[in-house]
Amino acid sequence: MFSAKIRSEVLKEITDVISTLVDEAKFNLAADSLTVRAVDPAHVAMVDMTIGKDAFEDFKADEGELGLDLDKIKEVLRLARAGDVISLEHDEDRNRLVVRVGNITRHMALVDTAGMSDPKVPNLDLPAKLVVRTDELRQGIKASESVSDHIALLATPDGFEMVSEGDADSVRLDLPKDLLDELQSKEKVRSLFPLDYFSNMVKALSSAKTVTIFLGNDYPVRIEFGLAGDAGNATFLLAPRIESE
Amino acid sequence: MDLPIRRLSGKAASARLSRVPIPSMARGEPWTPPASRSLSGTSPPGIFIGRYGYPKVNVGPLLPPFHGDTTLLDLPEAWLDFDFPEIIAFRFSLVRGMRRMAVNVSEGGRFLDQLQELALAARPADLELAFSRSPRGGMSSDRVAQPFGPSAPLLQMGTSGVKTDARLERVWGDGDLRAGAAILRLYDEGVEVSRIVRALSAGVLGLEDGRKLVPTRWSITAVDDALGHRLLEDVRTLPLIDDFRVYESVRLDNRFLVLLLPRVWSYELLEAWFPRTTWNPSTREIAMIGDSEGYRGRKAYASIRGCYYAARFAVAEALAREGRQATAIVLRETHPGHFLPLGVWNVRENVRRALHQPYMSFPDLTQALSYVGTRFEIPLEEWVRQSAVISFALCQRRLTDYPGWAG
Repeated sequence: MFSAKIRSEVLKEITDVISTLVDEAKFNLAADSLTVRAVDPAHVAMVDMTIGKDAFEDFKADEGELGLDLDKIKEVLRLARAGDVISLEHDEDRNRLVVRVGNITRHMALVDTAGMSDPKVPNLDLPAKLVVRTDELRQGIKASESVSDHIALLATPDGFEMVSEGDADSVRLDLPKDLLDELQSKEKVRSLFPLDYFSNMVKALSSAKTVTIFLGNDYPVRIEFGLAGDAGNATFLLAPRIESE
Repeated sequence: MDLPIRRLSGKAASARLSRVPIPSMARGEPWTPPASRSLSGTSPPGIFIGRYGYPKVNVGPLLPPFHGDTTLLDLPEAWLDFDFPEIIAFRFSLVRGMRRMAVNVSEGGRFLDQLQELALAARPADLELAFSRSPRGGMSSDRVAQPFGPSAPLLQMGTSGVKTDARLERVWGDGDLRAGAAILRLYDEGVEVSRIVRALSAGVLGLEDGRKLVPTRWSITAVDDALGHRLLEDVRTLPLIDDFRVYESVRLDNRFLVLLLPRVWSYELLEAWFPRTTWNPSTREIAMIGDSEGYRGRKAYASIRGCYYAARFAVAEALAREGRQATAIVLRETHPGHFLPLGVWNVRENVRRALHQPYMSFPDLTQALSYVGTRFEIPLEEWVRQSAVISFALCQRRLTDYPGWAG
């Protein structure tokens, strides 16, 4: 059983974050929350998301799972006006999701979840931790996009840096310790990432004012952030690019 | 003469190409356009829809000054077995009749009816053309479309006994079928890409009220893009290949290598043009140009344009045929003998041919790349440096590489 009401902007935020990596996803239902764990087809990045029932205006669910086509959810979201509440109901007899927005009712066929994996999050020992404003990350990405396809993230005892180096030009964003909400980095660590993945991840965040970044040396990055106020949280993992070979 | 021909389907396969009249130019003799205001011949069939002045463009038939089975003159699927002089001769023999008209088919009239019928012809059709002056001009080339010969403003066109292809006729008569769906249906029915392109450009596809003439150049890329896009929807769900493969085709002073990797779909076309080749007027530098897409495809139009979609279609077709998924990198080295733009068919058919031939199989990317290095004049390091997809495959780690992963 699943029946819920959710504000359109919260549903949009959830959808944007997941659709950064996949077009279809399995939503795992429990009595008090909804979780999604998905890996992009190239296995370069994953998202792990938990949305508590408080993120919803109304939430009733039994244990179960729903396979959703995120493009269809986006189509519905385009019909919503600011402040609209969207109602979602699982029609189990016909295996579809009944979505209501305003005076519109959409019957949405569910996607078979048989082929969708339940990825486990790898164990990563990431020595540096920092909390940075989302709009600073956006600035750093914007500055990098015309320079290179890659972006290096660096943490030192004194601050956080984003560096992009192209054939001719390079660009760097420096955030000294006092501009960060938190910084724990005993030594300098640096990892390089594909800019398109990193950029899409950061652009998908709409309500989180800050994100927590865990970083290592030539190692994946973990990015944690809140969703729907603090009623939900999510983690992105992104594998690095190693150029030494 | 006995002309080897491969990979044809439908009626063209049985076309008796051995009887194609080869213009004298192919034998090294100069050919001058007919100094006459009238022209009688057999159209392959061929039409050309220009793009300048859109939505009012020059449209008309392509007609050589001789009769016979001229199929080959407008059938790029069959040209890889020929060399430059012959292909140039095929195309230069085609005189282009031009009439300026609006692209809206509803404003067409009798002339357009005739032209559409010609575009749907199942076999070469006899035509009589009357011009306002004698045809002139040299070979014209459009980069994407195939070149053609002299042209002249068209006063009248007379056709006789045009027999239309039943498959094309059916989509012509179906005004409820969208152009995209019509393209796919024709392909599934075995209609050659060049015939689908001709039908799309003639404005016989799509919803009844919205039918428009489509400039030949746009039509070619629209068909490659639509077919590739559709095939890839299936390919993305297929199991990966098991090995690292290198395919090859060398024609017309082009060397094409197709590298397939056992990874999810992603694609790149990377071209290297030697000095003094078609797209590289420089006398000293090799020009390289490329574009790529990831698993989900790309939104922005590729900077290398038509060739990108032509090669992507050819790769998608081969993967769909085998029932497998792969990452594909198409590398092209164009040498100084390639001095004239022939159209994107050259890319499409070379990649198709490469993928129809036996391939070299390797257990890992490093060995596959070493082999690639032995096939090209440009050093491997340069290809790797320029290729976004190869460098992604070499340098990008995956989460599966880390402890605790379970997918």
